[in-house]
Amino acid sequence: MRNAFSAALLAAAQADERILLITGDHGYALFDEFRHHFPNQYINAGIAEQNMVGIAAGLAKGGFRPVVYALSAFSPVRVLEQIKLDVCCDELPVLFIGDGAGVVYSSLGVSHQSTEDIAALRALAHMRILSPADAHEMKAAMELAFRTPAPVYLRMGKSDLGPVHAAPPALEWGRLLPVSPGDGPLVFIGTGSLVNLAVKLANDWPGAAVWSAPSLKPLDADSLVAACEPHRIVVTLEEHNVLGGLGGAVAEILSQEHPMPVCRIGVPDRFSHFCGSYAYLMREHGLDLDSARAQVHAFTKKHPA
Amino acid sequence: MAYHGSTVHIACSFSLVEILAVLYRSHLKLGAQPGLPDRDYLILSKGHGVMAQYACLREIGWLTDEHIATYYDDGTELKGLSDASVPGLEVNSGSLGHGLAVGAGLAYGALRRGSSQKVYAIVGDGECNEGSIWETLLFASQFKLHNLLVIVDANGFQAMGKTAEIMDLGDLEKKFAAFGFETRTVDGHDEAALDQAITELVRSTVPGPRAIIAKTLKGKGVSFMEDSNLWHYTRLSEKTYQDALAELAAVAEPELHP
Repeated sequence: MRNAFSAALLAAAQADERILLITGDHGYALFDEFRHHFPNQYINAGIAEQNMVGIAAGLAKGGFRPVVYALSAFSPVRVLEQIKLDVCCDELPVLFIGDGAGVVYSSLGVSHQSTEDIAALRALAHMRILSPADAHEMKAAMELAFRTPAPVYLRMGKSDLGPVHAAPPALEWGRLLPVSPGDGPLVFIGTGSLVNLAVKLANDWPGAAVWSAPSLKPLDADSLVAACEPHRIVVTLEEHNVLGGLGGAVAEILSQEHPMPVCRIGVPDRFSHFCGSYAYLMREHGLDLDSARAQVHAFTKKHPA
Repeated sequence: MAYHGSTVHIACSFSLVEILAVLYRSHLKLGAQPGLPDRDYLILSKGHGVMAQYACLREIGWLTDEHIATYYDDGTELKGLSDASVPGLEVNSGSLGHGLAVGAGLAYGALRRGSSQKVYAIVGDGECNEGSIWETLLFASQFKLHNLLVIVDANGFQAMGKTAEIMDLGDLEKKFAAFGFETRTVDGHDEAALDQAITELVRSTVPGPRAIIAKTLKGKGVSFMEDSNLWHYTRLSEKTYQDALAELAAVAEPELHP
């Protein structure tokens, strides 16, 4: 997925010299190729994220297409007000890349983890949010972002979980992407790293459908209702706080448009008290296959047919 | 405006009147209408002084008396703090420490395009409490933004009292110089001195950013507002309004009708 990101960024910078990559002193080897090919379109703004976002806003006002790269723990949350006032308020075409989203930096602790970024940005007017699940979605998401002259946040989470699609999907703002069809009682909707878990989880429920939600904002009511209507229970999965992310967005829409039970699986409303491997921390937060399966079983018992 | 608007940021608008007047009259190349792509940029990072900028926009004809009359009314577009949706205003400020970085981005973009556009950014001394200001000073120096002139409206006050007593900034000229700025300190109410300092700094061939520390009086021009923080954010009564008008007129008239 990171290769797909890098390739898409290189292609975009090649095609449009207004595209400037601005990093807050992060990225290491990820940008070796970019710096080699486009040294003049690469800006290291130092460890000063507030200024970095303001600079990006000024460059965008001056006709450039800045891509602001940072760990998702630092941008958006540290600079939420800069994103609000300097970028979103004037609807400027700035693409924010939040790397390491969720608990990717599992052994480093809370400072480097972000489980609140989607919730924080969903309430910013004019902001769009993408959360690709695999390399195919990443390529499509980058292309969609560069086609859209508006504020966009692209959430880059755990990147080595393997593909969920066989080929690059046709991605549109607001639309869910089908992963596996089914007409059973359950429909699983995942985003980012947890689409992969949704696929595994669905094996336990014959006929369950699986969808990916790479466009978290906007999220079209039509697309969501069409995916959920044939089923009785919706299960959402995200590597993010259970409050305010995909599950929140799905519940908001369905409660008005097509009321039905929504089982929200995500990081409980707490920080990581322990650290360890990624697999360990996902288990610790109840986001491994066994824990998720138990949560869905408990939910289906509460909501019998 | 201030009288009509009841509770307003009045004293922080009076401290930068001469700075704005000199910039609009003699330095800003704006063209005939707002938003031209090759314009100079005036960034009011201390958005609290926006009333003074509305007055300038009225002088150059981009706002009308009818616009000004709506200030603080229901449905007005003229907010109490700077908002980029008003033609002629460049940034959304009022939350302090935002505009300067956006101005530096505009300056950097102009240099990248090989444009001769200039960016004049006005920050308050109180605003210099914000860490983001100092982040941007580092960036401006690192990227040699010689087309950026920062003007500090150093009126010595912030919302709750004297800057020296709340968060003492020490010697601002030395601080800006230490951050790589070619810096002058002038009387911010002396238009000739301001004009000369701006002219010299803009013409300077030093390859880095420039700054002026403009020593000003909060509430300048109205004796009972000067140096009194009561007037940072307050309302004018009929009496104080008339008294203020009388004092301002007494100074203005001899200049208008010599």
